[in-house]
Amino acid sequence: MGATHLPSTEFDGTDMDDRLEAEAEAQLGAPAEPMVQLLGPDGTLGSDPVFSKYAEKLDPETLRGFYADMAKIRRFDVEATALQRQGQLALWVPLTGQEAAQIGSGRASQPQDYIFPTYREHGVALTRNVDLAELLRQFRGVSNGGWNPKDTNFHLYTLVLAAQTPHAVGYAMGIQRDQKLAAANAVASGEPGQAEEPKAAVMVYFGDGASSEGDVHESMVFASSYRAPVVFFCQNNHWAISVPSSVQTRIPLANRAKGYGFPGIRVDGNDVIAVHAVTEWALEQAREGNGPVLIEAFTYRVGAHTTADDPTKYRGSDEESLWRAKDPLDRLEKYLRAEGLADDAFFEQVRADGNELAAYVRKTTHDLETPDIRTAFANTYVEAHPLVAEELAWFEEYSAGFADEEADQTDRAAN
Amino acid sequence: MTTMTIAKAINEGLRATLNNNPRALLMGEDIGALGGVYRVTDGLIADFGADRVVDTPLAESGIIGTAIGLSLRGYQPVCEIQFDGFVFPGFNQITTQLAKMHSRSNGNLTVPVVIRIPYGGGIGSIEHHSESPEALFAHTAGLRIITPSNPHDAYWMIQQAVDCQDPVIVFEPKRRYWLKGEVDTETPGASADPFKAHVLREGTDATVVVYGPLVPVALAAAEAAAEDGHSVEVIDLRSISPIDFDTVTASVQKTGRLIVAHEAPTFGGIGGEIAARISERAFHSLEAPVIRVGGFHMPYPVAKVEEDYLPDIDRILEALDRALAY
Amino acid sequence: MTLNKFNLPDVGEGLTEAEIVAWKVKAGDTVAINDVLCEIETAKSLVELPSPFAGTVTELLVPEGVTVEVGTPIISVSDAVAAQTPAAPAPATRAPAVAAPMYGTLPADPADAGEQAGRPAGGPLVGSGPKADAVKRRRRISASPAPSAAGREATAAAAAAAAPVAERVGVEAHDIWINPDTVGRPADEAAGPAGDLRPTLGGAISGLVGKVLAKPPVRKIARDLGINLADVVPTGARGEVTREDLVSYQAQRDAEVDKADSFWGKSGRPQDQRIERIPVKGVRKATAKAMVESAFAAPHVSIFVDVDASRTMEFVKRLKASRDFEGIKVSPLLILAKAVIWAAARNPSVNATWVDNPDGSDSAEIHVKHFMNLGIAAATPRGLMVPNIKNAQDLSLKQLALALNELATTARAGKTQPAQMQGGTLTVTNIGALGIDTGTPIINPGEVAIVAFGTIKQKPWVLDGEVIPRWITTLGGSFDHRVVDGDLSARFMADVAAILEEPALLLD
Repeated sequence: MGATHLPSTEFDGTDMDDRLEAEAEAQLGAPAEPMVQLLGPDGTLGSDPVFSKYAEKLDPETLRGFYADMAKIRRFDVEATALQRQGQLALWVPLTGQEAAQIGSGRASQPQDYIFPTYREHGVALTRNVDLAELLRQFRGVSNGGWNPKDTNFHLYTLVLAAQTPHAVGYAMGIQRDQKLAAANAVASGEPGQAEEPKAAVMVYFGDGASSEGDVHESMVFASSYRAPVVFFCQNNHWAISVPSSVQTRIPLANRAKGYGFPGIRVDGNDVIAVHAVTEWALEQAREGNGPVLIEAFTYRVGAHTTADDPTKYRGSDEESLWRAKDPLDRLEKYLRAEGLADDAFFEQVRADGNELAAYVRKTTHDLETPDIRTAFANTYVEAHPLVAEELAWFEEYSAGFADEEADQTDRAAN
Repeated sequence: MTTMTIAKAINEGLRATLNNNPRALLMGEDIGALGGVYRVTDGLIADFGADRVVDTPLAESGIIGTAIGLSLRGYQPVCEIQFDGFVFPGFNQITTQLAKMHSRSNGNLTVPVVIRIPYGGGIGSIEHHSESPEALFAHTAGLRIITPSNPHDAYWMIQQAVDCQDPVIVFEPKRRYWLKGEVDTETPGASADPFKAHVLREGTDATVVVYGPLVPVALAAAEAAAEDGHSVEVIDLRSISPIDFDTVTASVQKTGRLIVAHEAPTFGGIGGEIAARISERAFHSLEAPVIRVGGFHMPYPVAKVEEDYLPDIDRILEALDRALAY
Repeated sequence: MTLNKFNLPDVGEGLTEAEIVAWKVKAGDTVAINDVLCEIETAKSLVELPSPFAGTVTELLVPEGVTVEVGTPIISVSDAVAAQTPAAPAPATRAPAVAAPMYGTLPADPADAGEQAGRPAGGPLVGSGPKADAVKRRRRISASPAPSAAGREATAAAAAAAAPVAERVGVEAHDIWINPDTVGRPADEAAGPAGDLRPTLGGAISGLVGKVLAKPPVRKIARDLGINLADVVPTGARGEVTREDLVSYQAQRDAEVDKADSFWGKSGRPQDQRIERIPVKGVRKATAKAMVESAFAAPHVSIFVDVDASRTMEFVKRLKASRDFEGIKVSPLLILAKAVIWAAARNPSVNATWVDNPDGSDSAEIHVKHFMNLGIAAATPRGLMVPNIKNAQDLSLKQLALALNELATTARAGKTQPAQMQGGTLTVTNIGALGIDTGTPIINPGEVAIVAFGTIKQKPWVLDGEVIPRWITTLGGSFDHRVVDGDLSARFMADVAAILEEPALLLD
């Protein structure tokens, strides 16, 4: 809830003692650099000279929708974690604590925008209307990409850290070319300014850990050089498995943007209203051809890195308690209740919907189809490939040569 | 029919691509204003503009990665990696992303990216400018790899690579960039299929399989062998992934002896794959073990000694002698 | 009531076991889905396990403090609820109040709402630890496929033969024997580089026909023994010369060589010591009897015809390469056999028997057989035998090839049965296999014709006024003049020759 200045692309000459800043940040959860915040942990809505006007556009139904989305995805997360503990998923990647960063930013995007997630953006998937059950395929081990990005403009999860960042910039470069072509056609057809398609932008997600990867640097160089319509959305959740963000950066990550020549802005990642506002602004910038923006959502990974991780080995519970006090859902609930925008009935409904979702998730997980290796043969190449055909033929003959295929399969399945 | 060098043939092929395919674009370091360090993209930016002939920042991973993004948006980028030895910063994007995107998406996404890489030695250059890393990529499923040895193939293969829906790496033999030959720009003729091997010279006593820069060397070796009374069949593999094993098998069934030669080191090279597979397919026809000729197991040596390293006519003939002695 | 067992899952990407540290429930407790059942300790950390089932705990299957492997059942829960619980606390499974579900459609089965939906299906549990390697082999019903073996060899050869190599071949497969002007076809056909275009015709021919197949070790043995592989009769499945083939060839040679050195008795020794006396019995006796019978009862007339069998050689080559004949030995004898059958149908009297005193009468009869039991004279370890292929006229080309293979293998193994040698109607003697050009064979008793099939060699031949090498053989036939006159025998031989010259006539 502090004042902010509109981020600029120039060094403004203010003295910044980086070391002090980093040390201040090292104190649990107190960012030294002001960050954009509208809804504080206590549930009161403050103001910001730049971003309040975005927040004011949000009607009560939208705000309730934010809460419902965050609750939904949290419930999904809890259920998926339980399923992993029950042996139904090989792995789960929880997003507990990051709901606001994901719902807020996802809801700010428009259908024609293309989103590149990492592998934790289940909340963003929800806002893009990806069927949550499709997310489970990957973690059940039946697919490496359980949905079709073309249906929702939500790309597959990329497990190699930061590899998706140059993809996003390239995609944005493609959008630029499409827009130029469309403009040229409009001119040629003599009907400029006619109802055009809404301009598209790209948003790419990555974490504080991934921000150290070379690909992030290279993408930002490309994005800046070509002024590509891309928003870099970094969720600084403070932990890269067991390595704290202080090892990844000595300055607020948002500050890196200055080095590349475009605006960087830090926002309270647990404040869904601020996240939404900042993302809306950033996507506008990109859409209007003003080039890329880096958003650093300052948040916290309340859970483990994945279900195979044990945070008790590297961090204290005090830190976690501090951040639970800044829970994104709690503060919004407080606000909604205080403003009379939501009542018990609403929250009960949300809880019930959550349970229904959980049941759906459980059932779908069990029913997920087991893939056949034959599809892997078919999907390695687009065009017919002699070696693939030869190996498939061999595999068919080899498989057919076993006695009692059915019984054998069940035996092996039971192992 | 026109006479042109391989470099010019690729240039013309790229020009034809840019003309015929509005979604195609070139990207790489120094390909625009400079026209490429080997002038392969000379003149193209003037005719097609900076949006379609893109000078990129100096970042191979970024080049490949953005190309992937462009292809997801429906474009067909042709990336240039300036030298073989500098492809490695992009190795991650090529092997973990480009090769796997189609499979990962269960067939929903295609990434028709072409990567052009000048490769091979024999140009007296400094470190990292004479590599032959094709085996590293051949071992990655999802990629296709082709390599033209002559101008006609170069002209057509670059266009066929762009048309192919799979990602294709085109290895261009840099020391042959100035090799001249006849190019039929109307029809590809025998070069209609980039993934087929060509028998360039018929023979009966032994088969020599080569690709890229060693093709002229093998033909010269066959000529020399003929003077000794040995009839050598020379096959230009043309495609390293997939490999046209049928053509090689048929040849070995006829000759009974196989020699595979490449600049890349013998250990772990493509020759091993060919040797193993042909041994399986044509075992009873083999009069001798498959003999491979390749670089030694060492980093590519300095220019002053590269002649001792590279397979040349003597090395191929030595292998032939060994094969015939069985 | 169903009893559900919960097997210990792998909770950490490859864990193999865990210790049950503390149970949070006991037998008789009611549990809801996701209620914590126990705490386990793995190699990585301490983990709580949520219940996948709702119902009543019936039994804790593993005591606290015990380490078990992933996959071991640790608790059983029956789906009957012991005591009715009032509205359960969070995470309660309340029936959805909303009529329209917000995500997907749950099944219409009301019992599925909440409680039963969590039961794992009968399918495999994911992440149940690294799978143990199978230690027993799965039973196979057919041999593992050889990745591109003979079939591919053959197919590849066919492919190469069919598709003109780089469109520059002066030796298209079917044209290989004729048209010298196809050799060195001008290079303008080639769209290729400045490569050498000279095909070597002679090499191509020998390459395509004369290839001996053998495994490398066999080649080495042959070389060490000084054996020319081309001289050895191959019996391998893919037509290759095997070690055994070399052994029997060598044994034969040894035998001959050993004996040859010491064969001649020294002059000066008593005459009777230089005469070896061998009693006649067994096969030798039977053979002699048959020969005498035949030679003196039937007036033999032998006629000969030279045939240009090049097309037969070509056809045989194609068959060898054909996928249909994969693994089947094909030789010109097959075509000859077919030719004989074909020709016999057109000249039936050659497929007959002269019967003296049938039914005790004084006259004779000629029995023309409207079936062909084709005899093939075979040299076996026990001597000369003539097994026949019954009803050869009904066999397709492939079946006939198989029958010939079978006959030869059996004969070589010395296992020909008497029944196989009875009832023959016409015989072929394949003296070509012995390197003989032609001969005057003796008719098999009970038959009236025998065909001698000699070597097929390249000889100068005149075609269209030019002398060129062709594959020539001299067919010989002996006929019983009591039954077969000169013109008939000539027509028969001419018909056989016609097929050898143009096998396509068989398609008639």
